[in-house]
Amino acid sequence: MILVGENINIMSQTLGPAMKERQAAPIRKMAQDEDTAGVDYLDLNIGPARKTGAELMPWLVQTVQEVSSRPLSLDTTNPDATEAGLKVCKGRALVNSVSLQPERLEKILPLVKKFNSEVIGLLWGVDGMPRDVNERCMLTVDLVYKFNEMGIPNEDIWIDPIATPVTGEISQVKACLEFFQMLPEIAPGCKSIVGLSNVSNGTPSHLRPWLNRTYLVMLERSGLYSAIADATDPELIAIARGLKPGTVSLIHKAMDGADIDTASLSPDEIKYVKTVRVLMGEALYSHAWLES
Amino acid sequence: MALELPKLTYSGKIKEITLGSGDTAIKVGGETSYPFFTFEGTMPNLPRIAMEVYDSTPQDWAPAALEPFNGVISDPLAWAQKCVADYGAEMICLQLSSTDPNGANADAETAAATVKKVSDGIKVPLIVWGTANHEKDTDVLRRVCEAVQDRKLVIGPVEEGDYKKIAAVALGYGHTIAASSPIDINLAKQLNILLSNLGVPDNQVVLDPTVSSIGYGIEYCYSVIERIRMAALTQQDEKLAAPIIMNVARETWKSKEAKMATELDPKLGDSRKRGILLEAMSAWALLLAGGDVAVMRHPEAIKLVKSMITDMSQS
Repeated sequence: MILVGENINIMSQTLGPAMKERQAAPIRKMAQDEDTAGVDYLDLNIGPARKTGAELMPWLVQTVQEVSSRPLSLDTTNPDATEAGLKVCKGRALVNSVSLQPERLEKILPLVKKFNSEVIGLLWGVDGMPRDVNERCMLTVDLVYKFNEMGIPNEDIWIDPIATPVTGEISQVKACLEFFQMLPEIAPGCKSIVGLSNVSNGTPSHLRPWLNRTYLVMLERSGLYSAIADATDPELIAIARGLKPGTVSLIHKAMDGADIDTASLSPDEIKYVKTVRVLMGEALYSHAWLES
Repeated sequence: MALELPKLTYSGKIKEITLGSGDTAIKVGGETSYPFFTFEGTMPNLPRIAMEVYDSTPQDWAPAALEPFNGVISDPLAWAQKCVADYGAEMICLQLSSTDPNGANADAETAAATVKKVSDGIKVPLIVWGTANHEKDTDVLRRVCEAVQDRKLVIGPVEEGDYKKIAAVALGYGHTIAASSPIDINLAKQLNILLSNLGVPDNQVVLDPTVSSIGYGIEYCYSVIERIRMAALTQQDEKLAAPIIMNVARETWKSKEAKMATELDPKLGDSRKRGILLEAMSAWALLLAGGDVAVMRHPEAIKLVKSMITDMSQS
């Protein structure tokens, strides 16, 4: 499992202001922490950054490159910011992201070609969010066709089917699981990625790791290649690195609906089983899902 | 070959709960299928209508909504008795509008005394509804619970922000709690878990998922109620398997469309008929989604809804 650290983000209450004021120290610190935690890529999320993106992104890239040699994911909807970032990026960057919206295709895709980057193909259609696994498959076909036309090979395309919160429609949470099983047939050679923490958006922050970790194991079983994830959760990274085979097999057993004798499980193991039940749609989510 | 209709098998059951006490107690809930799907399960208790009474003289009401209560709108007891005697109300919902901190802000003592008076003057089950102001409701509804000890009330709205104090007292006096959450199935479940962690037994809780009227997002409320029923009946979600209560009248009659006089927009049709139909159709839609108790206002709207309930249950 390839991990892309999500923590350098304009939405962060400490790093957001640091970015705006061009304070390098907190950014460097987070980049170092993510690097030490052992993620493979660092995502640099500056949001839409309509006004100052073209100055902010290259500054951020250079600041992070001072302390980490990990490849970078340039996360913005502003094409000028993407281009300015790509210009100063030392290694091969991952452009996050290009969807089927004409503006993104026309402005960002040529940059991917020009700088020989890799690119996240976001399954966001002209009509917005796909409603189920079939719409995700249709969007994938369209998207890969457009990318190939531009000369971008499947190997450089990372498909993101958009993970949605457990508090919303559970069928959408399950749709991602199904999608990754189908992806190799629809788009052979393409990689895949999700914004993992989306699944726990809107849930109590101290409980989010249970949802993130469990969903990661479930998605990996379906064939997920990489995840944009919280680098500050060591347990999540241990799971992604294959260091928690017991947890993984327990989650698989719970997914298969096996009869699990919870009396023999530790409190943490019971939490994983309960979280699988919620993510599979067998029990309806509430903030007290671990206690009920 | 005979045509065999596909049927859904249900694994859950809605809890049957008794509202009120004594001879006039009413059972609600108990369904083992979706509403009126009696070809798939049973609906032992048909949906019930509670008639609204306000503890302060209504301001700004549509003439059509006032007319049935001429002469009693400033006397909650007389109003409640008229609902029972003249309109056959099987339950009363007393809205404690006088306690609204943004309005008259009547104190808890006065409100509790009114509730006691109404409670003593009618026999049918009594629902008491606060103003959804957490601080004020905590004060008022606790006093109400203490004031009425000789019968079981339904107390609402009990929300995540005030459930601890109100539920503890309601529990102490054996009253039923209307657990109210803002049009969100996850939060509805959450509140019921919190209540049961507090020790409130399942047979003392009804769900208020919050409703609105036609034209004001009723489809969203419909969908939440529908999903609550699906979780309860097909996924055995015990925490959502409670009867559902819906404050329909208040939401309907406050809308512009229910209040506007005929001459202001003749193409919307007769004002009186419009308000009544809006109330009846809003209530009916929500009952089809899975409601068990609809709080309603206009006797003619209630008559319409009751006749539809009868039609649906006889076919």
